[in-house]
Amino acid sequence: MVSAFEFVPAIAVLPLVSFVVALAFGKWMPKKGALAGIFATVGSLLISIWTALTVAGFLGSETAYRETIWRFATGTGTFDLHLGVFVDPLSALMLLIVSLISVLVFIFSLGYMNDEDETGLPRYYASLSLFSFSMLAFVFADNILMAFMFFELVGLCSFLLIGFWFREDAPPSAAKKAFLVTRFGDFFFLIGVVGIFATFGTGLFATEAGFPHMAEQAVAGEMPEPVGGFLGAVGMGAQQWFTVLGLLVLGGVVGKSAQFPLHTWLPDAMEGPTPVSALIHAATMVAAGVYLIARMYGFYLLTPTTLAIIALIGGFTALFAATMGVVKQELKQVLAYSTISQYGYMMLALGSGGYVAAVFHLTTHAVFKALLFLGAGSVIIAMHHNENMWDMGGLKEKMPVTYWTFLSGSLALAGIVPFAGFWSKDEVLYEALIHGLGSPVLLVAWAMGLLAVFLTGFYTFRMVFLTFHGEPRSDTAEDPESVRWNVKLPLGVLGVLAATIGFINMVPIKKLTGLKIDLLHKWLVGSEALNAEFLTGLEHYEPILKNVAGIESSFIAGGEIPTLLLSAALSLGLALAGVGLAYRLYAVEEPVEHTEKLGGLRTLLMHNYYQDEYQVWLAEDVTLPLARLADTFDQGIVDGVVNGVSSVSLFSGDRVRHVQTGIVSNYAALLTVGLALLLVAFGILGGWF
Amino acid sequence: MLVELLILFALVAAGIVFLVPDEYAGQSAAVLSLVPVGVSLWMYSIFDGTGNALLEGSQPAFETITSWVTLGPYAISWHVGLDGVSMPLVVLTTLLTTLAIVSAWTPIDERESQFYGLVLFMQAALIGVFAALDFLLWFVFWEAVLVPMYFLIGVWGGPRRKYAAIKFFVYTNVASLVLFVGFFTLVFGLGDSISTLGLPAIAQALNAGQLGSIGGVSPSTVKLAAFAALFFGFAVKVPVVPFHTWLPDAHVEAPTPVSVLLAGVLLKMGTYALLRFNFTMLADVARANAELIAIFAVVSVIYGALLALAQKDLKRIVAYSSISSMGYVILGLIAFTPHGVGGATFQMVSHGLISGLMFMAVGVMYNETHTRMIGDMSGMADRMPVTAGVFVAAAFGYMGLPLMSGFAAEVLVFMGAFRSTTISAAPLFTGIAMFGIVIVAGYLLRAMQKTLFGPFRLETDYDIGRAPFQDVAPLFVLLALVIALGVAPDLFYTMIQDAVFEVTALGLGGGA
Repeated sequence: MVSAFEFVPAIAVLPLVSFVVALAFGKWMPKKGALAGIFATVGSLLISIWTALTVAGFLGSETAYRETIWRFATGTGTFDLHLGVFVDPLSALMLLIVSLISVLVFIFSLGYMNDEDETGLPRYYASLSLFSFSMLAFVFADNILMAFMFFELVGLCSFLLIGFWFREDAPPSAAKKAFLVTRFGDFFFLIGVVGIFATFGTGLFATEAGFPHMAEQAVAGEMPEPVGGFLGAVGMGAQQWFTVLGLLVLGGVVGKSAQFPLHTWLPDAMEGPTPVSALIHAATMVAAGVYLIARMYGFYLLTPTTLAIIALIGGFTALFAATMGVVKQELKQVLAYSTISQYGYMMLALGSGGYVAAVFHLTTHAVFKALLFLGAGSVIIAMHHNENMWDMGGLKEKMPVTYWTFLSGSLALAGIVPFAGFWSKDEVLYEALIHGLGSPVLLVAWAMGLLAVFLTGFYTFRMVFLTFHGEPRSDTAEDPESVRWNVKLPLGVLGVLAATIGFINMVPIKKLTGLKIDLLHKWLVGSEALNAEFLTGLEHYEPILKNVAGIESSFIAGGEIPTLLLSAALSLGLALAGVGLAYRLYAVEEPVEHTEKLGGLRTLLMHNYYQDEYQVWLAEDVTLPLARLADTFDQGIVDGVVNGVSSVSLFSGDRVRHVQTGIVSNYAALLTVGLALLLVAFGILGGWF
Repeated sequence: MLVELLILFALVAAGIVFLVPDEYAGQSAAVLSLVPVGVSLWMYSIFDGTGNALLEGSQPAFETITSWVTLGPYAISWHVGLDGVSMPLVVLTTLLTTLAIVSAWTPIDERESQFYGLVLFMQAALIGVFAALDFLLWFVFWEAVLVPMYFLIGVWGGPRRKYAAIKFFVYTNVASLVLFVGFFTLVFGLGDSISTLGLPAIAQALNAGQLGSIGGVSPSTVKLAAFAALFFGFAVKVPVVPFHTWLPDAHVEAPTPVSVLLAGVLLKMGTYALLRFNFTMLADVARANAELIAIFAVVSVIYGALLALAQKDLKRIVAYSSISSMGYVILGLIAFTPHGVGGATFQMVSHGLISGLMFMAVGVMYNETHTRMIGDMSGMADRMPVTAGVFVAAAFGYMGLPLMSGFAAEVLVFMGAFRSTTISAAPLFTGIAMFGIVIVAGYLLRAMQKTLFGPFRLETDYDIGRAPFQDVAPLFVLLALVIALGVAPDLFYTMIQDAVFEVTALGLGGGA
């Protein structure tokens, strides 16, 4: 029987084909390239489903797969530089998410772009296809070099799409910022990649030939040959050097996943078309960072310091971004900060040893955030591209499909039971808590994450009430433009999923009742082959987590079940409190800006803690003047010396003036004669004649 | 005989084009230059050389040795041949020449036959530089490149063309004198151990430690002095900071097609010669001074990039960024690892294509707008969408976007340099040099944002339209090549690796 694994490369290649088709022929096609993209991504989705079924073991015994598809460099003394496919439960799940969101975003674009008579549609669909291609290839990458390559291509696509409306001023500027800030992170990432290759001679993620396994051996004291040699040259211990490498790669993650302090590009990226925001935030660019840590989790588990830093960055970002989300006035801005905050939760989970929790939250977030952005897109169409929530209100009756689906997404985001976000966020916080009880750093990170739950509930429902409830506050809100099936269909699909996808991993129910319904957990534990041969299964990670990372679970209030209940009650209670406060303040006939009562704090929050200012200052008031100084130095001193030397040693001053006015023949002749004399002199000295 | 055929044909073509009336010169030059392209690609396909042409046990492809004249004890031969380092550079030369000629059709509108004749003449000399395996022969070609370049800048250049041309000519000629003296010091030091000026013989004698003392000066001092002289001579050409100031002037004044050749091929003469002379013949001296050379490399990368950031003229930006990119080549060479030296050589080819592409893209915009100042224009993508699209692609190529050749080259250099045991603290040097990838993104994105995007505005009197097909076509050819080499670096990298592998073992313990 034909195996799905042989077709995995096609998952990425199909969108690549539609990129070429849309770019070259989109102008003459009926929907300007959209159909090519839809067909391609539907194809990707079907193969992804097939792949997932195979990984689940329904279609044969082979449940994981690695294959080299293209080698860059062969020949003597080379590293293992190649493109390859690696399918395991993690990548199979991610392929499914990315291709599903891609299909929905393409369909939604028909409503958001084609129906609004935008120009440049072939360019739009080509970039969107390239985006899907890059992300899908990134997901099934079997080595870190390939991951880096497609990570960068994802960056390019974000540049092209954020700056899609290039005839205005703001989008190109935002596109530049997004690329530059993430490039800054990628600088560290690339050093990390180069360092990993230099240390291990390979960048493979999985199997015994992969670098996480070699690192594991090195830490355990069985130094593999190439590693020992390099460590000697660097003069560091194994774990110390792996911490350095882990932190370098983390630089790229922090950039792409918009974690503090490299989060500043993301709110600006709202300048792009809204379907693009959905794609970037839910399934592609921002997800790439977190996915990368999960992909090489076996490596990160070896360096407890890095894990602690990841958890702290995550917890802090979750809280920090949530505070800014509270005061924003534009619909998409609130969502942007919530994205940063939610990815903070995933980082928190990864850093505190909650691998399953992180992947779970990545999955649920992909669904409800795509839903919220597409819902926001629907509102924006209705509002004729006015995004200010203070001009909305009362849209509930006029656009019921958008309202109910948006509500489903909001309940998920706020973490209200039984919507998706509740289950995953609860698990993140539970893992951070039980692992944090033995480690103060993790506990601090947990506390920040917990506090953010309240804020999340508040800003989410502030957004919902301002947009949909109350009375219309402008003429457009009075009479919004209607949307068609191509908007409603993706919203419907995602709305149902946002309510239900949390059921794939109801750990609290499992623990309470003993029913084995933690499907995602089982999925990530993987088959025997996965743990023995590919070494990316949960069973392989758990002992390392305990023995090397030193992360262990401890419980309060007398055991696991009480701790579990306490944690769930705490996060649900805080979320409900946030929603309740929002209800009190904003679910009224004529809401007012209560945030103004915050005074100076509000100014600080509106200015995003002056994070943008200091980064712009670094670029424009430090680097640019430095460059100008270098230029002055270069023209004055370096070039000045050259000109000085030539006028002093070769000619007198007025001769040079001759030269510069164009009398050059004598000058050139002199050099030629000099050369000839030199030859003769050498000839005589050397006794040639 | 194929190398001779290539050179001879280019010379004959130059002669023919000189005589053709101006109005047909461009087309005939392009057609004639297709022959070397075809021949060099055919040579590439049947290439069977092994090893490094300068080292023992190698077998260069297309090799011919004919005794020419005898100078005292030394036999001067016509000795040419290609190995894995020079073959890609020859292909690069022929391809870029044809593309540069086509891109000259629009901007060059006076004394056309002379212009194209000089370009073809220069092509012959450039092929000679990469193919020659005898010192005097090599030096003749080396000098012969300067003359057409001097005229190409001095006659067809911009307002300050005379100054720029003279500066180029004098600077590089002084460098030639110094390297000539340096090289002959070595020849004298080798005394009776060599009987020819063939580069392989000299390289092998030097690596076998046969250098004697001259006038009581110890061999190691002689070597060091010769190394310094040669390094200066080639560093000017590359150019390495602080010997770079002729470059921006030359580029800004030179017409676009000449800039393409200057950045694309002429700069590679410097890095090629560094590899052949300093890092192959005098590998032990290079190793002993590895940190110093690495500092030159890192300074070139960072300082060059900072200078590019400060510029307001698109062409100056690209010109300075070449300095930065060439710094990576030096870093890779001094690493003395297979990927370091191989990546550096690959970067020579890759940068030739990408910088050619960048210059051409700037040139196409200039043809339409008659300005290159960033402040004079905005939103060009609105009026010239195709050109702008290629410009964006080229700029991302320059930033090292994966699946384009620049990424492959840079990553190979970084990997090679990171692992180097020759440079102490190699990871640190490499890490600092890699910051260049952030600055390059900074200045190119800034340039694009200001010129291509935003509302349309142009502060010249020209009414711009879409660029003609002949201007844009070479861009697509180059873009295709850049992507092809990025996806399949092995097209050149296999032969490069074969030729540089032995170099990385040189200078370890052996020698004087």
